Amino acid sequence: MVLEATMICIDNSEWMRNGDYAPSRFQAQADAVNLICGAKTQSNPENTVGVLTMAGKGVRVLVTPTSDLGKILACMHGLEIGGEMNLAAGIQVAQLALKHRQNKKQQQRIIVFAGSPVMHDKKALEMIGKKLKKNSVALDIVNFGEDDGGKTEKLEALLAAVNNNDTSHIVHVPAGPNALSDVLISTPIFTGDGEGGSGFAASAAAAAAGGVSGFEFGVDPNLDPELALALRVSMEEERARQEAAAKQAAEEASKEEKGGEEQDATMTERASEGASEADNKKIEIADDDDTSLQQALAMSMDEPTSSQDLQDTEMSDAAAEDPELALALQLSVQDSTKDSSSQADVSKLLADQSFVSSILASLPGVDPNDPSVKEVLASMQNQSEPQQKQDEDKAPKKEEEK
Amino acid sequence: MACTHDHSCEDHDCSSSWSLYKHIDLSKVTALNEANPGSVKSVFKAWEERLNSSGEHLESNEGDPELLVYIPFTSDVKIKSISVVGGADGTSPSKLRVFINRDGIDFSDAQSMQPVQEWDLVENLQGVLEYQTRYSKFQSVANITLHFPDSFGGDTTQIHYVGFKGEATQLKRDVVATIVYEITPNPSDHKTRAETGGGLSHVE
Repeated sequence: MVLEATMICIDNSEWMRNGDYAPSRFQAQADAVNLICGAKTQSNPENTVGVLTMAGKGVRVLVTPTSDLGKILACMHGLEIGGEMNLAAGIQVAQLALKHRQNKKQQQRIIVFAGSPVMHDKKALEMIGKKLKKNSVALDIVNFGEDDGGKTEKLEALLAAVNNNDTSHIVHVPAGPNALSDVLISTPIFTGDGEGGSGFAASAAAAAAGGVSGFEFGVDPNLDPELALALRVSMEEERARQEAAAKQAAEEASKEEKGGEEQDATMTERASEGASEADNKKIEIADDDDTSLQQALAMSMDEPTSSQDLQDTEMSDAAAEDPELALALQLSVQDSTKDSSSQADVSKLLADQSFVSSILASLPGVDPNDPSVKEVLASMQNQSEPQQKQDEDKAPKKEEEK
Repeated sequence: MACTHDHSCEDHDCSSSWSLYKHIDLSKVTALNEANPGSVKSVFKAWEERLNSSGEHLESNEGDPELLVYIPFTSDVKIKSISVVGGADGTSPSKLRVFINRDGIDFSDAQSMQPVQEWDLVENLQGVLEYQTRYSKFQSVANITLHFPDSFGGDTTQIHYVGFKGEATQLKRDVVATIVYEITPNPSDHKTRAETGGGLSHVE
């Protein structure tokens, strides 16, 4: 129950976007901060905690030491990631904030989350450490995230300079399946200098240990049988549902030869969307002229098998008037010449490299220069080669359109 | 008796005049930049023991001779003079600056603030020198902060004894002692008779 004023220094630099700590380094850090604030305020009601950010435009104190947990949690919202962490300035500002704490009887402590590389040299950090020790400020360092050569050394040197009778600690958290907060719970940062841990920390540790102990779904059936039963039932239902869905999908694939589409479901959906969007515009242009033509176009996109005759008759009329309409009609004609497969016109579009790359560029997370994507495109092209040979004269026209 | 000054000691008892150490609230004495936390309490003792260096003494950290000592009294006192016994080999403090009735001074404050009084000290290994205060300023001292900025060339500063001569009044500044709030009970605070091996249970 040590009476303490704590300043937490958060790293919100660009390196925090990384996802090696689930869900992202920044989120893991925020969870850990929330846990620490809770533990500190619970262990002694007069403890105060403050928060500052070290990166971004500069070191910024979000909340001065306060015992109001709500205020601290609120200030963690809407934090932006960016910039580079300035460790030295962060620690110095934290020391200043602690100096002006309202209750001078509180011990001073700084907790630093060091996720990005440390730019300062060892000497400078040691000077800072000495100054902290002289003013009897304790320092806890959480070393996670980036691990370039020298960072660990520098932080250890800083700790050695600050440490006075084991009041300061450093914790190295490697990336892995365990959450950052879970790892921290068992460290002296939470349990506080070997006092034996507050009730909060102890119960949190027990919960974490329970999850690891190997019970199914992480819930002890003895403690909470209803919850365990509900979890088991829902898990089985989910499994059954997934099996049924997979079965159905397999059936569909064998029926309609849509094996390829299954894999690239998103891509083909987008491609057909794109195509239909493009054609919708053309349909609008022809709106006033020919309603039956519209019908033909619409039907050609949706169901190439039906109303092929309609398309044939219309084609000769419209071809002369509007090249864009002609294009659409060509598509529908190609459909009629091939076996009924909506994949045909889609694959025709896919065969057009430039069209596909423009679609791909708009897809999030797909890089057209990615070798795997290029492979897929190449295979698509090979499939549609015989088609292209048939419609060589139409291909140049298509190029013009684009 | 340990009176080493050269006048006869029959008419007054030296040790009784240096008795303000009895009014120091030892549990709340703190020092900044001390090498061993808590060693500062050992420098407040009776006059007779001022040269007794067998116990602990206050020493600053390696390479940094600055020291800051915060001393609260249990009641308001009037301080007439101060005596400081330092260490040998240049580890005695060379200057003393004091601040009165100020809480929570740290080094940057001490260096920038104007002290109530400051003295240039000399090496006082026998403890016979005392430094007189401007008595009018030291009439109701609830706590005093001693700042030793430098030593006589040594790597560290050592203090073996600090004595205050003066009078204690019966007035107290703040009556309230430590209070422990219990919103949720903390088991480590309530050890039962069995756990402490037969003692009375108590709340810390």
